[in-house]
Amino acid sequence: MFGTFSLLFVAALVSLALHRTKWLKPVALVAIFGSIFLTYSGSHIGLAGFENSEAIRLFTLILEIVLLAVILHEEEDQTLTQTLFIATASVALLQSHTLLTFIVSFEAVSIISFVLVSHIRTAAQAEGAVKMFIAGSIATGILLLGAVLYLIGGGRLGAPIAVETTALSTTGLFVMLLGLFYKLTIVPMHGWAADSYALVRHSHAAILTGVAKTVVAVAMFRFFAPFLAEHLSLSVPVMVTLAVVTMTLGNYLALFQKRIARILAYSSIAHAGYILLAFAALKSGYASTGLLYMAIAYIFMQTAVFLLLDILRKRYGIETLEALKGLAKKNGLLAFFFTVQLFSLAGIPLLAGFMGKAVVFYAAVDAGLWAAVLIALLNSALSVGYYAWIVKHLYFDEAQGPASQSNDKLPIVSQLILLAGTLTFGIFASLVFSVGNAF
Amino acid sequence: MSPLFFIFGPMVLAALVALYGKKRDTIVKFVSLALFVWMLIYALELLAILPDSGYLDLGSYLAVKDFGFELTLQVDHLSVVMLILTSVLLILVALSSWTMKRTSTYFALLILFAGPITGVFMSTDLLWFFIFWELTLVPMYFLVGIWGAEGRIYAAVKFFLYTHVASMLILLAFFLVYKETGTMNMTLVRESMLASPVLIWWLLFIGFSVKMPIFPFHTWLPDAHVQAPAPISVLLAGVLLKMGAYAMIRMVVLMLPGQSAHFAWVILALGLITLFYAGFMALYETHLKKMVAYSSISHMGLVTVAIATLSYSGLSAALFEMIGHALIISPLFLIAGFLHHRTGSWQMGDMGGLMQKAPYLSAIFVLAGLAALGLPGTIGFVGELTILIAAIKSYGFWLILIALGSMIGAGYIIWTFRRVIYGEISQTVRKSDFRMDHVEFAALVIFAVLIVFFGLFPSTLFDVINAAFAPIAAQGGL
Repeated sequence: MFGTFSLLFVAALVSLALHRTKWLKPVALVAIFGSIFLTYSGSHIGLAGFENSEAIRLFTLILEIVLLAVILHEEEDQTLTQTLFIATASVALLQSHTLLTFIVSFEAVSIISFVLVSHIRTAAQAEGAVKMFIAGSIATGILLLGAVLYLIGGGRLGAPIAVETTALSTTGLFVMLLGLFYKLTIVPMHGWAADSYALVRHSHAAILTGVAKTVVAVAMFRFFAPFLAEHLSLSVPVMVTLAVVTMTLGNYLALFQKRIARILAYSSIAHAGYILLAFAALKSGYASTGLLYMAIAYIFMQTAVFLLLDILRKRYGIETLEALKGLAKKNGLLAFFFTVQLFSLAGIPLLAGFMGKAVVFYAAVDAGLWAAVLIALLNSALSVGYYAWIVKHLYFDEAQGPASQSNDKLPIVSQLILLAGTLTFGIFASLVFSVGNAF
Repeated sequence: MSPLFFIFGPMVLAALVALYGKKRDTIVKFVSLALFVWMLIYALELLAILPDSGYLDLGSYLAVKDFGFELTLQVDHLSVVMLILTSVLLILVALSSWTMKRTSTYFALLILFAGPITGVFMSTDLLWFFIFWELTLVPMYFLVGIWGAEGRIYAAVKFFLYTHVASMLILLAFFLVYKETGTMNMTLVRESMLASPVLIWWLLFIGFSVKMPIFPFHTWLPDAHVQAPAPISVLLAGVLLKMGAYAMIRMVVLMLPGQSAHFAWVILALGLITLFYAGFMALYETHLKKMVAYSSISHMGLVTVAIATLSYSGLSAALFEMIGHALIISPLFLIAGFLHHRTGSWQMGDMGGLMQKAPYLSAIFVLAGLAALGLPGTIGFVGELTILIAAIKSYGFWLILIALGSMIGAGYIIWTFRRVIYGEISQTVRKSDFRMDHVEFAALVIFAVLIVFFGLFPSTLFDVINAAFAPIAAQGGL
């Protein structure tokens, strides 16, 4: 049995030995191609406590394609290795089916994220990494506290979450959710995120906000949905309130940022709010499709924008909106990639971001939450304010001063993969709908 | 030819033009012109094979099971008329943009606009309709933001945000429709019982009002129209506003007839307010292009009043006036933009005596202006008269009030003539050079010819338009 998980794990271990050789990137690429092939042909972990499904298979496939883009983009040995480790842990987390495997895989993802950002060069990066580490530790603490309460209340470690629960175990599960909300950057557990995402290296932020967060959201949904669906009277008000507050605050704060990375970090928080709406809409049969669609759309566009930021910083030293002025004249292709992904985040149709939002929002309408959806839609419209504002700097303004430019090659293939994903899932919705309910 | 070619083809073509069109300006211009002419031919072909009543099915694509989401393309007379109008305007806009700067990018965006606008008029799936509806915003945002005048950035962002917020209401309404009927197909929705039609009606009405625009949701328009380059103002007034009116007819009046009848007084009242408010604003305005923009809003108020009659003759008159408005306002915008380009001023006070310097241009301006105030023999007269008759038939004689609106129109148009065209020649006009590119002038002449032609032979247009609402006449109302 040589599944996706084992392949990625072995490749990650081997890659440790290959630092500072020219073989690291080829090995990583072979491993990720292999894993794409294996996932496509239906590989699963096959151990007790792990279980695959059609929806998870599709999402794993997409995760691997996105990580392929990340690997193509990345030049640094450290990051390449951690990317492979993240891939391994994510595959495990997505398939985990019992409390034990869920917690262990979740912790694996968290710890690898810490290792990823611990590769520090500047004081600012250190600040971002430390904030993330502290928040992450608190999250772990709360998660474990919740798990313990749940176990004392009669839960079992080696089984999926019980649907019928006692008062204590219900409390335990909600406490666990609070811990997980740290990772999902739900307000008021979002404080660390804007700083960390904006301060750590952009390619690391791409993995954190784009990949890790989405994986946690999908795994969380898969793991907790049956329980939450059973306790609608309790879960719906909590989730709706958190979703509405998160998206509103995220979008509102994004409007005032000067640094592009901070705008996108707040936009990432706002998107967590949209994702959470799927958790509130469990009464509807569309909730799981909505979450899956949103996750797929989000992983493509969010990873793409942060990788683009990485290119912008490396090539032009661009960090602020001000410096972005007139980029379209300097590098039309880069501006084009950036614009499409930003419009996808804004929810402009024929791009994945629109369909993701549309399905989640419809699920919520279907569950009778139309007032919350109205707020979400207005939020989405508000968010156009800052996305279109970035695009305005790209296209409408004149460039200021001569551009300092380095001549390393643009990782075009990496961006093309992400662009293709954003377009494909914007047009061919049946790809997701065909598996959406098979969580 | 598959209809998909005219929807997605332009999007692909736009990308190709943007990538390979640099330094091939002439080719790019002719390619886009060829595309628009082809669109016109296709639309005329559709007209020829349309059944007398009901839809012509153009196929369904990209079906998504479990989510009534399918690119269903069906056309009837109403949509084909809109397609013809759109392609004619696109041809004329392409001609009047002949000397535009950064040609290849500009025309790429124009081509990009052609795809979704075709989709809007062809799609009968609510969600796909919405997708195309929203997608028209993207090229417009760039066209206003890059090629616009001094205040272009503010205008572009405001336009994008304002209309996008309105679209969100429309999307919510569509979701509610789907939840309650289980179908996204507009023709099926009409036959089903909606549980919360009042909420849906208001969401749709407000959403589409912004695009039309109807008072008090019109404030984005003066900014966008004034700052946009003149050919894009034509596109905004001639196509985008018509898209709003089309949606208002198709999705408010025809899809929710019961609620529309119940709230007809709202449509009527807001239509009248729009007509008079914008008319008075136009009277007050000294900024030439803003005057034209308000006059445009005022005419859309007239269209709204016609829609509010909810009758066969009223809707026909509305559609006729929509076409008339597109043909009349366009040359006014083009000339206003051209004058600003040459004199550097927007103020009517700076102009005067244009007739002595540029007689042909002035003649077209006067013709279009007279058409706007409803001079017999022009398309404007027929539109206003039929609306007046339809409105009086539906609501009684007091709606002779509409004629008063026409008088305000006469006021601001004739006063504009006095200030811009006639009178003593001003310093600014004396100094400026009004020689116009021949292709751009040809576009103006075509507008003038159409205004007179349909004024003299309105029946050529009414034959087609009446067929659009024939089912209403057949069943004696909605």
